Amino acid sequence: MPYDETVSNLGLDEYKYHFIDEEKPFFQAQRGLNEQVVRQISENKGEPEWMLDFRLKALEIYNQKPMPTWGADLRGLDETMDQIYFYIRPQEKIGRSWNDVPENIKRTFERLGIPEAEQKVLAGVGAQYESEMVYHSLKKEWTEKGIIFESIEDGLRLYPELFREHFSTVIPPADNKFAALNSAVWSGGSFVYIPKGVKIDTPLQAYFRVNQEQMGQFERTLIIVEDGADAQYIEGCTAPVYSTNSFHSGVIEIIVKDNARFRYVTIQNWSNNMYNLVTQRALVHEHGHMEWLDGNLGSKLTMKYPSCYLVGEGAHGEVLSIAYAGDGQHQDTGGKVVHAAPHTTSQIISKSISKGTGRSSYRGLAKVYDGATRAKSNVACDALLLNETSRTDTFPYIEIDDNTASVGHEASVSKIGDEQLFYLMSRGMSEDEASAMIVRGFIEPISKELPLEYAVELNRLIELEMEGSVG
Amino acid sequence: MADVSSAPRIDLSKAKKKAAQPSNGAAAAAPEGVNEHINRAAVEAVAAQDEPWLRALRLSAWKVYEDTPLPTRKLEEWRYTDVSKLALDRVRLADGLARPATVPAGARALLEGKEAAGTVLQVDGSLVDVRLDEELRQRGVILMDLAEAAREHPDLVREHLATKALPPAAGKFAALNAALWTAGVFVYVPRGVRLEKPIRVARWISEPGVVVFPRTLVIADEGSHLAYVDEFASPDFDEPAVSIGGVEVFAADEADVQYVSLQLWGRGVRHLSAQRTFAERGSNLDSLVVNLGASVARVDLAARLEGPGSRSDMLGLCFGQDGQHFDHNTRQDHVADHATSDLLYKGALYDRAHSVFRGIIKVFPGAQRTDAYQTNRNLLLSTEAGAESLPNLEIQADDVKCSHGATVGQLDEEELFYLMSRGMTHRDAERLVIFGFFNDVLERLPLPGVVEELRAEIERRIH
Repeated sequence: MPYDETVSNLGLDEYKYHFIDEEKPFFQAQRGLNEQVVRQISENKGEPEWMLDFRLKALEIYNQKPMPTWGADLRGLDETMDQIYFYIRPQEKIGRSWNDVPENIKRTFERLGIPEAEQKVLAGVGAQYESEMVYHSLKKEWTEKGIIFESIEDGLRLYPELFREHFSTVIPPADNKFAALNSAVWSGGSFVYIPKGVKIDTPLQAYFRVNQEQMGQFERTLIIVEDGADAQYIEGCTAPVYSTNSFHSGVIEIIVKDNARFRYVTIQNWSNNMYNLVTQRALVHEHGHMEWLDGNLGSKLTMKYPSCYLVGEGAHGEVLSIAYAGDGQHQDTGGKVVHAAPHTTSQIISKSISKGTGRSSYRGLAKVYDGATRAKSNVACDALLLNETSRTDTFPYIEIDDNTASVGHEASVSKIGDEQLFYLMSRGMSEDEASAMIVRGFIEPISKELPLEYAVELNRLIELEMEGSVG
Repeated sequence: MADVSSAPRIDLSKAKKKAAQPSNGAAAAAPEGVNEHINRAAVEAVAAQDEPWLRALRLSAWKVYEDTPLPTRKLEEWRYTDVSKLALDRVRLADGLARPATVPAGARALLEGKEAAGTVLQVDGSLVDVRLDEELRQRGVILMDLAEAAREHPDLVREHLATKALPPAAGKFAALNAALWTAGVFVYVPRGVRLEKPIRVARWISEPGVVVFPRTLVIADEGSHLAYVDEFASPDFDEPAVSIGGVEVFAADEADVQYVSLQLWGRGVRHLSAQRTFAERGSNLDSLVVNLGASVARVDLAARLEGPGSRSDMLGLCFGQDGQHFDHNTRQDHVADHATSDLLYKGALYDRAHSVFRGIIKVFPGAQRTDAYQTNRNLLLSTEAGAESLPNLEIQADDVKCSHGATVGQLDEEELFYLMSRGMTHRDAERLVIFGFFNDVLERLPLPGVVEELRAEIERRIH
């Protein structure tokens, strides 16, 4: 391993995705949000009546709900919301091969390495540009096994009954203000169906790109994993850096049925002018197994707490969360596990690093309902502070209504240990080199879980040096 | 030997009359949940004998109380306790400093046979007896009625009462206490004086339907030492009674202070207490908060590590039965560098009892070399018991060691099995494990007499 890196050249601070493509969208709604925008979105998508009704009801709920004040500072958001475009349709049709995708958009994804990764290691790829999926494709072998991997719009169009049966059952619009917003203006995202017993050994991937300045992206993903199936899904996100703020608010609903396994990986690397407020939740049935692997490196402010609702006996939920907050960033992340059935188990592991004026907050919930006998949950959070101006918080909620539950939470905060530094420096490393090595070691328990070998562009997010021990 | 026969009587009858016929807009616009007996006229009546500065303090606190909305469950700090449980609308003001004709036997028994450097007995919001070791008095130790201290030692009291530690702005109930406290206790230990025995204060409510406002101000001057034990007790009531307390404890440089709050109220009582400890350079300021009694108990305790090198050991213990509800809200405010705080709160719950622990370690910018720890452990002894635990950290300095841990679980089957394999019955094994669970807290308290009393109380409560 080369020893010439420092904390600053771990690559976390350098944003490599600042490139802007000149483009002319097929359709662009006016700025701001009102009923007309919602109707335009629905009309553009040629949706059934029930979906338009659903959107309009959600808009009402959104307008009624106050801005949450319990978490990060959202005061700048109102202004942003008036300025952004809630819907931009970049092209008329969705591509099934990269050749169908307009040249300039294709170029963007080529620069992100997506087509290359698809050929090598992915089972299927979806790519979203502004408000719509511009490309969606699944390898033939998986199509033959009955797997559905479509844009969410095509999911609604092609599988109306399956779609309607599950849509919004995990995260109803009234769940929170931003789930209501997404329910009103959702556009893009994936519809995934893994049939009973099908095990897919390479991941499905969706890539989200915002190109336009002052853009709001509201993708919606619905994933149904049937009994005994096994799959994994990766999402990545980037945007160019503008001086004004953009907004991303996704809703991800996952249903993991009996004995199924599913892993959802997010590598969020939005530019530092992005508000990123996402609701992700999985409903896990009997002996199902759900894992969230949530990496938050970018954005101005992220509020995101992937959740597992363990509703079937013996269900298991896991959240592995890593957050990096550089100058001016606030990562308010964590995870929630709700035990609503006997013998359910869960684990949340969170690691955060705050650098410069960065602030990382862990916020999480471990809840055991009465009757969820013998539930077990363990939460561990570690925070590393790199500078005097860095800040970290831990806000865990533990709510236990069953006495047979066993729930534990632990957290620690530290700076890079003098003794560790001294040891490494006595072996001839500079202080910066030694710090970098300690940082890598700190996040290793989670980074080793990252399926890096699958997604080429992830390598560009966290430099390979950081993964020295894995690479 | 001091008595408080000189304590002035306060006539509350006028206040009650005024309350019955609200004449001004403010009373008509009173926020919900406010009791008709609790009004500005009542504050004026309580303040009648006060110096002007203290009267002004009470009235400004009353203004804060009026301007502060009643907390609702929408507030994070009140998320798990509904204010309506406090039954504030079902009590009248206890008659301030009107001394009861006879002191109930239960109240008398509270201080009997207990080792103490000084004692205070308070019944229904009135001081009935204050005693202090004569030698200590001669060495400058003060133990007296707080209102009297405000007249005799105005500088000391004015500097510390409801200012930097527990100002009215701390919250609606802190403001209410600052406006309406009666029969407060004032303790001052001069520089370098060390009390070998604790100061014991006992507070008794003899009948339901009243609200009392106990207030405590403890000042330990440089290098001094004292332990102060506040005990709350009453018979069991079918109807509610309410105690809304305020406590401020100051440890000057290098002082060593233990503050203990023993809440042993009977059923029916609602206990609200805001407690603040303020530790200056190199001082040691420990606290133990015990909640065994009452129907609903809510304790807000904030320890401020104000001076470099200060230390606070913060212990808590609650043991609930039937429908008891305990809510602990703690803060460890690290303002100064090189300070240490270590919190351990443990709760065991039978029946439908419920406990809430919300604690926060806050490390302010510049408080380098902070060591701050926080541990909350809960034992659920029945299927209907419930516990919430929210151990929070907010860290704004980088050279710190902070950690917290929280657990909720049941009795360890392996421990029980081990004891039973040694011939113990299941019941005895369970008692022993519960006892051991609390012992971790008790063994950290350097007050053997108090620890023995607590052991007996816990033993009495183990099913």
